[in-house]
Amino acid sequence: MKTGFGIFLAAFFTIGLSWCGLVLTPQLQLGGAKLEPVLNSADTYPLQPTGAATLGLQVYRANGCAACHTEQVRQGGVACEISLTGLGIYKPADFTAYVKSLFALNELADLTNSITASLKGWNGDLPKTLLTCTNKALADDMASRLKAVGVKSETHIVATGLDVARGWGERQSVAADYLYDQPVQLGSLRAGPDLANIGVRMPDANWQMLHLYAPKSVAPNSTMPSFKFLFEVRRIKAGDAPSPDALKLPAAFAPAAGYEVVPKPEAKEMVAYLLGLKANAPLYEAPFTPATAAKK
Amino acid sequence: MSDENKSNSDSSANEPVVTRSAAPMWIIVVTLLIIFVAGYYFDQHSGWFNPKIYGPYSSAEQLETFQPKSGAAAALARGKTVYETVCGICHGTDGMGKPGQAPPLAGSDVVNAKGFNRLAHVPLRGLTGPITVAGKEWNLSMAAMGAALPDDDLAAVLTYIRSSWGNKQSAVTGDDIKKIRAGLKSSQPMTHEQMMQISE
Repeated sequence: MKTGFGIFLAAFFTIGLSWCGLVLTPQLQLGGAKLEPVLNSADTYPLQPTGAATLGLQVYRANGCAACHTEQVRQGGVACEISLTGLGIYKPADFTAYVKSLFALNELADLTNSITASLKGWNGDLPKTLLTCTNKALADDMASRLKAVGVKSETHIVATGLDVARGWGERQSVAADYLYDQPVQLGSLRAGPDLANIGVRMPDANWQMLHLYAPKSVAPNSTMPSFKFLFEVRRIKAGDAPSPDALKLPAAFAPAAGYEVVPKPEAKEMVAYLLGLKANAPLYEAPFTPATAAKK
Repeated sequence: MSDENKSNSDSSANEPVVTRSAAPMWIIVVTLLIIFVAGYYFDQHSGWFNPKIYGPYSSAEQLETFQPKSGAAAALARGKTVYETVCGICHGTDGMGKPGQAPPLAGSDVVNAKGFNRLAHVPLRGLTGPITVAGKEWNLSMAAMGAALPDDDLAAVLTYIRSSWGNKQSAVTGDDIKKIRAGLKSSQPMTHEQMMQISE
């Protein structure tokens, strides 16, 4: 082994370099991650999860939910939406004519199709989405031209992509979303839908309980297994009222008469965790205009 | 036996040995080319490993341009932030004022005036002496808390207090504040009578 030292050096640098890339650099980048300010708001993100939700993460983990569910929304791209909020002195027909006259300008040629399509059959209702384009400079140019003639508009930033189109989130998942998760339940397979925003999409605790006990009772085509062992089927004592926690199951899934299904603490913790999954705050690294603000 | 020995010695003579020869030039060229292409790709797409930059964004400048900064909601949120750090300490984060510190802004006549000219003079000049707000007598002094605020921030605060806690009045813009600031006759605190002489 005349070259033993050379082989050692080569192996050391190869492994050392991957360690730097896979362990050290992420640690330097995100090791000191803190709460982040929510865009255009005095709030910070993420919220500290409740005690039940913190325990619920361990139930989620123990039951292998991450084997079929992801908690990461992917974003294909970003687009600007110019929304008209006031026409100033214009009538809708005049405004349409004015916008069409802008098409003669070379720099706005790319917007022709988008604007033509959105103005088709418009009866003058406001607010009205005038155009959607991925080029911010072009959108700003258009907005300043509208402002110059006294037309009021707002520019909304919207995330695009398959996951967003499915309604799984308004923006992509970023590191801040997992600040309190220990361990992070990213998941890699989507036999079921993404859960990054389940607390926003399905905020009804009762629905979540039914779905855990008998998935087909609320989603007939669900392939999710039943998590009946998180619940207790018990006899209602004679003369007692049913427990307030008892599930209100449809007849096909209900237990025998005189029995009730009540969630064990694990089920309650899991539901608390699921309802706390709300990755919907606009952040600096994942900006968007929230739908609520857009409606105002 | 002797044949076997012979073949053994032959094979050991044919064993490959490590020599020190230069790597072929084409490998070096291809490696450098790959490094160059990878470097160019990172330069275009990585945002220089900034932890704040995720795809589809490829640079800090691009991410900055996509920050939603305009719109009424943004101004209102800014106003809330500034109010809670500057005004809320005395006037209360709920706008109800604090006994012995500051009168309420919720339901105040000056705040709820149609115009904001008189209201804007209060943070720009300060206010001192007796005044009746929402049916109660107050006799305190307020310094010119807004004199050092940027135009846009002061406008955002005024917009916020004019549209919160039941107040429903129009928004104020940075340009409005700029004009009012330019037209200030004095930077000394006003009394109630002096304030009422200023037009709404």
